[in-house]
Amino acid sequence: MSSINNTIASYQQKLAISRLGLWLFFASDAFMFGGLLITRFYLLGNKNLNLDQTLGLLVTSILLISSFFMNRAEVMVSQGNHKGFITSLVITILLGISFLVGVVGLEWGNAHFGPGDGAEGAVFYMMTGMHAFHVLTGIIFLGLVLRNGLNKKYTAEKHYAVEASANYWHFIDVVWIIYYPVLYLMGTM
Amino acid sequence: MKHFTIVSILVILLTVFVYVLLQAVGLLPTQASSQAVIIDQLFDIHIGIISFLFSLIVVFIGYSFIVFRRNKLLPDEEGQHITGSSKLEIVWTLVPLAVVIFISYLGAISLAETRKIDPQALEVKVTGGQWYWSFDYPDYGITSDALYLPVDRQVKLSLTSMDVIHSFWVPEFRVKQDVLPGENLVKELRFTPIETGDFMVLCAELCGGAHAYMNSPVKVVTEGEFQDWVDEELGNFPQDPESLGERLAKNNGCFGCHSVDGKDGVGPTWKGLYGSEKTLVSGEKIMVDEEYLHESIVNPNSQIVLGYPANVMAQNYSELFTDEEINNIIAFIKSLE
Amino acid sequence: MKSFMSTGIVKGILYQITGSFMGAGILGGIRALMGLSWKTEPAIVLGGLVGAIGFMVGVGGFKDWWKMALGEEVNEASQVFGEQGLKRYFGFSLDHKVIGIQYGILSMVLLVLGGSLALIFRVELAQSGLQILNFVQFNTLVGLHGMVLIASILMGIAAMSNYVVPLLIGAEDMAFPRLNAFSFWIAVPASIILMSSMLFGGFETGWTAYPPLSVRGPMGIQMFFLGVFIVGWSSILGALNLIATVLTMRSKGMELFKMPIFAWSVLATSIISLTATQLIGLSFQLVMFERLFEMSFFTPSNGGNPILFQHLFWFYSHPAVYIFVLPGLGIISELLPVFVRKPLFGYKWVAMSSMGIALTGFLVWGHHMFTAGIEEYLRVPFMYSTLLVAVPTGVKFFSWVATIWQGKARFPVPMLFVLGGIIVFLLGGLTGPPSGTVSTDLHLHDTYYIVGHFHNTMFGGFIFPIFAAIYYWYPKITGRRMSETLGKIHFYLMTPSFFLMTFGQMRIGLLGMRRRIADYDPAMGFDFTQLLITIGGYLIAISILIFFYNLIVSAKKGESATGNVWNSRSPEWDILPSPAPAHNYAGIHFNVVGEPYDYGLKGSKYVELAQVEAQSKESDE
Ligand code: HEA
Ligand code: HEA
Ligand code: HEC
Ligand code: CUA
Ligand SMILES: [Cu+2]
Repeated sequence: MSSINNTIASYQQKLAISRLGLWLFFASDAFMFGGLLITRFYLLGNKNLNLDQTLGLLVTSILLISSFFMNRAEVMVSQGNHKGFITSLVITILLGISFLVGVVGLEWGNAHFGPGDGAEGAVFYMMTGMHAFHVLTGIIFLGLVLRNGLNKKYTAEKHYAVEASANYWHFIDVVWIIYYPVLYLMGTM
Repeated sequence: MKHFTIVSILVILLTVFVYVLLQAVGLLPTQASSQAVIIDQLFDIHIGIISFLFSLIVVFIGYSFIVFRRNKLLPDEEGQHITGSSKLEIVWTLVPLAVVIFISYLGAISLAETRKIDPQALEVKVTGGQWYWSFDYPDYGITSDALYLPVDRQVKLSLTSMDVIHSFWVPEFRVKQDVLPGENLVKELRFTPIETGDFMVLCAELCGGAHAYMNSPVKVVTEGEFQDWVDEELGNFPQDPESLGERLAKNNGCFGCHSVDGKDGVGPTWKGLYGSEKTLVSGEKIMVDEEYLHESIVNPNSQIVLGYPANVMAQNYSELFTDEEINNIIAFIKSLE
Repeated sequence: MKSFMSTGIVKGILYQITGSFMGAGILGGIRALMGLSWKTEPAIVLGGLVGAIGFMVGVGGFKDWWKMALGEEVNEASQVFGEQGLKRYFGFSLDHKVIGIQYGILSMVLLVLGGSLALIFRVELAQSGLQILNFVQFNTLVGLHGMVLIASILMGIAAMSNYVVPLLIGAEDMAFPRLNAFSFWIAVPASIILMSSMLFGGFETGWTAYPPLSVRGPMGIQMFFLGVFIVGWSSILGALNLIATVLTMRSKGMELFKMPIFAWSVLATSIISLTATQLIGLSFQLVMFERLFEMSFFTPSNGGNPILFQHLFWFYSHPAVYIFVLPGLGIISELLPVFVRKPLFGYKWVAMSSMGIALTGFLVWGHHMFTAGIEEYLRVPFMYSTLLVAVPTGVKFFSWVATIWQGKARFPVPMLFVLGGIIVFLLGGLTGPPSGTVSTDLHLHDTYYIVGHFHNTMFGGFIFPIFAAIYYWYPKITGRRMSETLGKIHFYLMTPSFFLMTFGQMRIGLLGMRRRIADYDPAMGFDFTQLLITIGGYLIAISILIFFYNLIVSAKKGESATGNVWNSRSPEWDILPSPAPAHNYAGIHFNVVGEPYDYGLKGSKYVELAQVEAQSKESDE
């Protein structure tokens, strides 16, 4: 057995363990998001929050598109397409930032209630705030990946950091896909 | 097989012994409500099951240690190689399963029994606050700080709280219900006292500070005595401002924090309050006059007396009382030389 | 002096203090710039948070991750050779055995702190009337006693799992050594923050922190919330690591159903901590935000609902009680066969019963809320599910009895604690069903009966087993045995005192003694029993003092024990020398060739050195 083979095998094994770890983390985090979801239904039942529909649709589309570009970035790095990888990554980050601006910058200012205004305010700011916090950490991870990508640290074979932050990004996206209808669409006034 | 016969006999003996012992000790307070009788029947079943399971396991272990102990001459002796038996495992999964389903079934029945509704029930509105109980009899228009109940008639309590969660519990009645703040969270509790006598409502949910002292008397009396009490409360009560004020203060829990005999409480005593000089937290010195008392009641945080906490006294007394009522309370405080 | 200052923990604490002041200062500064006045509550929260991060920076917890984030190479954990000697226990180390012992030390420190708090308020309760404490102090002591000891349990099970699991399954270390060290160290500032709640006015809510009470009272509650929140993260990350370790790092040939049974209970426990812990974190966070930003989740006058908190809180805190006991029950199942020299009866059933307890444990939280005014239709289903837990627990008990039956038992100190654990936990478990049926719980809820119930379950499920584990694995850690005589004194003093304490608690509880009251009515006639409870508590403390003496002195003076002291079949005794070498099985491979607990079967083996293979590999390279 050569030592090169050995390191590849051990890299593969470590990769498998890291993937498992990441998914366990998602499982754990999902319980927290689930708890907020339950809070929303428990306190507000079938009540509509009467939010700005255009803005909601806009930020949701932005996040969905960003997930698409994130996926492109991951595919490209595994194909060794350095330039395409960097471009897609930058687009993802920019879209992520616009999502934050949309939710925290515009929606929070727009909403017809503040965090202290009854259960609606509390639930709305908590859910969007918690999600925005995750988007923010996601952007920070992507920023680090971008920095290292520019320094050519990733190869077609070894790019677990890209994969991990991509999965994290998709995870946040999925959370929003559930939160969006629950906050914006469902319920009667 | 011989071993199992002996063990079974021992288990039965110990079960009976433990059960009789526990019954003899007198585990529960007197049964003063019909609900207590029902609940204690379930307690009996539980005590039986506990005695049996405890004996079962302890006897098997103890017997094995004594009878199958190591031979002194063979210090390295090993046990037999028995790895398990699926048949046994299934038995001791299914039998306890049946037992617990049966207990739950009994539990559900017992719960339903305790909640039987009598349309003739006496209605009482119970209000809990830090740290007092107040009882309203809407049928009679009486408010009292002690719970008077006629014996052998169901009562229906509607419970609500002024501030935090409390819990209504009379050990002799067995039943307990948390008392929640919020108009949409008024809870109901029904029971039928079956024994006359003096009991205590105890607040069973930690509610801060004087939680330990949040007790009020419960007096279960005969139907006739109850009627006498109602008449007395309704008719013969003096109507001068001081007495009215005293009643208001009593029924709204002021005495939970303020004493009238000079003792220190959560809040300053009212004895000799009127006309005295007080130092406020702000350093200002003031004379206690009517205006100050009024302000202290409707807006307690506006002047905090030195040495006492802010934010403790409720802020909504101005909504609770009419101006006249507040004047009555002030008149009462003035009377406490 | 210089070397003292550079010890990880000292540096960490200094950084934490600095961080706390910085955090508080930054907030004050920002508010000042916005023209607002100083406000203590947000300042201490931010201060606490920044302080905890400061601690991690100080201790060196971020160093490698920072490098990784910048894309630099870091050493493999197995290539890192940390400090040696005693000092390694006080700094950042990646070795799971060191971390296990660090967890153990923290657990014992918290046990003494939390236990001493109980000793203080027990003096107050020894007679009716108020003697030495006022209300706030009493309530703070009770609540902190509960939570500090729960933290102690979480640290204690982490200690056992960290030290033992990799050894049992033949792994070189945990799956994520850096995360492992991080999970431990973050618990240190968290414990400091938790204790500091006493400095900020205490709190008056008990460990359950129900709003609206917790929304109003003194602001020490914020430190309590923050401390528990961070301990929660420590426990989530630790659980993640343990699951990954058990699932992926087992030695060759060790199928899941051939693992030592303790690994199963750790797996079951970790599944609960990984997921449910988020909910206590969330519920506490919501109250923190309600206090800080006036967001109304739980105050009815502003649209909230206090029952919601109880649902969120107990969704964790009930499963949490199974977090506390499963590892302890695992220890019992692990040690019992060794000392009765018989196979564990029904291995697979015992393994699956851990999973069964863990999973049914998720369905029963409502039994803490039978009187709380939850939706009427929920009480009966929760009663059924609650009693259902008795079934898998029963499987464990009956299997233990069958294991003992006809065994050739020997009774060294660890075995005594195993037996004590079985009996005490049996009493704790059996007192559960009366609280689990709604109508009887109407009487029992919030009385000392419940207090008696859970001291029994927690002592039987954790305190006794962890003492068994310490006496049992001590030679593996130090190469020396603890004194048998002192150990026996410890056991024979602690057990009866414990019964004195909890039987007293249950007795007065049934008669009407409420929980969390600083004073009780002398007319109820509890004074004498209360005095006995206090005496029981102090005797327990004395026995534990003897244990600590034994623990420390034996490290130097104990009888030396380097071989397979207990004649056990599991790999860490069968293969490894004592004390266990730095990288566990590095260089020695073993194969699983039999069942883990085939005691009494002549010539059978669980594990075997894979010498031949190892040599041929070497010659290959
Ligand atoms: C280690 C911790 C631990 C464990 C393992 C348990 C185990 C159980 N607990 Fe306990 N419990 C606590 C810790 C624990 N508990 C704590 C800390 C509180 C208080 C929280 C607070 O308010 O501060 C509490 C409170 C508590 C309550 C709420 C009481 C109240 O406040 O009103 C209830 C109610 O149902 C309950 C029930 C049970 C049951 C049914 C079990 C079962 O799991 C027990 C199962 C075991 C057995 C039954 C024995 C062995 C089985 C057999 C021999 C088989 C055959 C048995 C039968 C057929 C019955 N517990
Ligand atoms: C593992 C958990 C655990 C442990 C070990 C204990 C141990 C003890 N507990 Fe308890 N307890 C809880 C968990 C635990 N407790 C919880 C969760 C609550 C609920 C809190 C709440 O309601 O919010 C509670 C509540 C509780 C109450 C109810 C309070 C009330 O509601 O009013 C009481 C009262 O008797 C009590 C007593 C004791 C005593 C006397 C001990 C003794 O066994 C302690 C023995 C002492 C030690 C273990 C420390 C060792 C000390 C030394 C070595 C001495 C060295 C130091 C000096 C001499 C200063 N505890
Ligand atoms: C929960 C405890 C509590 C209750 C109940 C309570 N108070 Fe008070 N009260 C206080 C405290 C604490 C203070 C001192 C702090 C302050 O000045 O606000 C105080 C102060 C006062 C003062 C000023 C006394 C002084 O020495 O200057 C008056 C008057 C008063 N309360 C009236 C009332 C009345 C009337 C009621 C009932 C309707 C009531 N209080 C109920 C806690 C309470
Ligand atoms: Cu009200 Cu306790
Ligand atoms: Cu529970």
